[in-house]
Amino acid sequence: MTTTAQTPASGTSQGARREGDTLTAYLFVAPAMLHTLIFMLVPAGAALYFSFTEWDMISPARWVGLANYQEVLFNGDVYPDFWKSVQVTALYVVLSVPASLLTGFVTAYLIDTVRRGESFYRLAFYLPVVTAEAAVGAVWLWLYDPQFGLVNQALGVIGLEGKDWLGTPSTVVPALALIAAWQSGTCMLIFLAGLKGIPSVYYEASEVDGAGAAQRLWRITLPLLRPTTFFLTVTGLISALQVFGLVYVLFSGSPGPEGSGLTYVLHLYLAGFRNGSMGAASAMSFLLFVAILLITAVQFRLMPRDFED
Amino acid sequence: MQNTDTIVLDELPTATKPPTGARRRRASRSDAPRNRRNGAPAALQVVAYVVLTLGALAALTPFIWMVATSFKEPQDVFTRTPSLLPLDSQTGAWAGTLDNFREVLGLGGFTTAMINSVIVVFVLVPGKLLLDALAAYAFARIEFPGRDILFMVILATMMVPGVALLIPKVFITQELGMGDSLSGIIVPNLIAAFDIFLLRQFFLTIPKELEEAAMLDGASRMRIFWSVALPLAKPALAVVTITSFIYHWNDLLWPLVILSDQDKYTLPLALQALVSGRVAQPHLVMAGAVVAVMPVIAIFLIFQRKILDGIAMTGLKG
Repeated sequence: MTTTAQTPASGTSQGARREGDTLTAYLFVAPAMLHTLIFMLVPAGAALYFSFTEWDMISPARWVGLANYQEVLFNGDVYPDFWKSVQVTALYVVLSVPASLLTGFVTAYLIDTVRRGESFYRLAFYLPVVTAEAAVGAVWLWLYDPQFGLVNQALGVIGLEGKDWLGTPSTVVPALALIAAWQSGTCMLIFLAGLKGIPSVYYEASEVDGAGAAQRLWRITLPLLRPTTFFLTVTGLISALQVFGLVYVLFSGSPGPEGSGLTYVLHLYLAGFRNGSMGAASAMSFLLFVAILLITAVQFRLMPRDFED
Repeated sequence: MQNTDTIVLDELPTATKPPTGARRRRASRSDAPRNRRNGAPAALQVVAYVVLTLGALAALTPFIWMVATSFKEPQDVFTRTPSLLPLDSQTGAWAGTLDNFREVLGLGGFTTAMINSVIVVFVLVPGKLLLDALAAYAFARIEFPGRDILFMVILATMMVPGVALLIPKVFITQELGMGDSLSGIIVPNLIAAFDIFLLRQFFLTIPKELEEAAMLDGASRMRIFWSVALPLAKPALAVVTITSFIYHWNDLLWPLVILSDQDKYTLPLALQALVSGRVAQPHLVMAGAVVAVMPVIAIFLIFQRKILDGIAMTGLKG
C-alpha cells in the first residue's frame, strides 16, 4: 500500500503524505481500536445477549429467552421494587433537571449582568461539580442531619421547623434535587457561554425600540438560548436517569427509607452485584438504554426546526 | 461538527494563556459594552451582586462546614448552635485540632486507599493521554484506508450511556484476569472516545506547514508526532489531563463494581466505607472527605481558568 495507490484528489489535498504512513497510522490507532473493540463493541453485543440468560457472572450463562424482561417488567413477586425504582427515578428527573437548569440559568444571567467578579462567582458555583460523589454524599448527610445538621439549624434561625430530610420518604427525592441544584455549575458555565454568544446588535436594536430589561430577557435572551437549553435538557436528563453514586453513599447501599432512595441504577446494581442476578440486571440495563434512546429521540422530535443548524 | 471545529480552534489556545494582569484588564474592559448591551441599570446591578454573593455563599457553605467539622473536637461537633469555625462549644474559644485527620489516616485502609488512588491516576492519566493522542493524531493528520469508518466507530461509542455496558465490561475485565486489582481500574479506562475526539479537533487546527518542514528534514511520523504535534497540542492535552485526573480521582462506580478487597480500595470507596461505618462520627467522616477532595480542589483552583473555559467551550460534562 503506497501513496500512489490513492486517488489523485486525496493525494493533492494531503501534500504531507508519504510512504509508510498507512502502516504508521494503523499502529497509532491500534491501541484505541483494540480497546474500543474489547471494552465497548464486545460489551455492546454481550449486553444484549446476557439479558436473555440466567447468569451470575461465575457459572456459564443459560439461555432463558425473554424470561428476564418478563420478570423485571411484569412479575412483582420476583422484582417487587422495579416500578418503585422507575417512579423514584422519574420523580428525581422531574425535580432535579428543572432545578439545575433554573439555578444554572439564574446564576449565569446574573454573572453576565455584573461588571466584576465573574471569575470568583464562576469558581464558587463550579466547585460543587468537581467534588467527588462520595464526599458530596458525606457532606450532605451531615448537612441534612435531623438534630445537628446545618440545614435544620438554619431553618430554626428563621423560625421554621426542621425535618429528617433523608429519613422521611416524602422528602428524600426533593432533598436529592436540592443537591443537584447545588451542583448546577455545568449548566451555569454553558448558559454563560450561550449568553456571551448573543450578538449585542439584538440588544441595541431593542433598546432603540424602548424595550425594558424584563422584555429583553423574555423576547431576546430566552428565545436565543433555546438551543443551549435544549442541549442541557438532553444531557441533564441522560445523566439524571443514571443517578447512582450519590444515593449509594447517602443510604450506604440501601434503598433508603421505604425505598424512597431506590433509583433505577441503584436497583440494577443491587439486583446484579448484590443478588447475583446478572441476567436480569443486564435486561434492566438494556431497558434503560432503550428508554434513554426513546426519550432523546422524542426530545429531538419536539425540537423546533428553526434551530437545527 | 463544523461548529466544534471552530470552537476548539478559537478557544482552546486562549484557555491556556496564564491569566496575566493584562489579559484580565482586557477582559474587564470588554465587559462594559456587554453589560450595556444587557441594559442593566444600577439598581439591577446591586440586586445581581447581592443575589450572586448570597448564592456563592450557599454554594461554598457545605465546604466550609465540612472543613470546620473536620477540625472540631468531638464534643464541639454536636452543638445546638451551628458554628462554621472549630470553636469550643462552652467557651467559644478557638479549639481546632488535627486529631481527626490523625485518626482517619490511622484507620485501617484510608492511607492505603490514598496511595491506591495516587497510583491509579498517575498511571492511568499519562497512559490514556498518550494512547488517545496517538489515535487522535492519526485521525487528524494521516490519510489511511478505513480512517473515516474507524473514527465513526469511536464517535458512535460516545453515544452509549455508561451504565448500559457496565455488566459485560466488568465481566470482560474479570476474564482478562484484572478483576479485583488496580489494573482493572486502569486498563478499561485507558481510552476515552471523547478525549480522542477533542484532541483530533485540536490537531486539525495545527498548521500543516509546521509538520512539512520537519518531513523535509527526514523526520519520521513518530518523531513529528512527538516533537512537533504534541508540543503544539499542549493546551488541549492540559484540558484532557486535568479533566481526566478529576474524573478518575472522584470515580466511585467503576472501582465499586471491580474491587472487593479493601486493600485495593481507592479513596472514594474508602470514604464511602467510612460514611457507612461511622455515621455517628461526622468529625471523622468530614476529615476523610477533606482528604479525598483536597487534591482535586487544589488542582481546580490552580487551573480554574483553563478548566472552566475548556468545559464551557466543549460542552464537556463535569
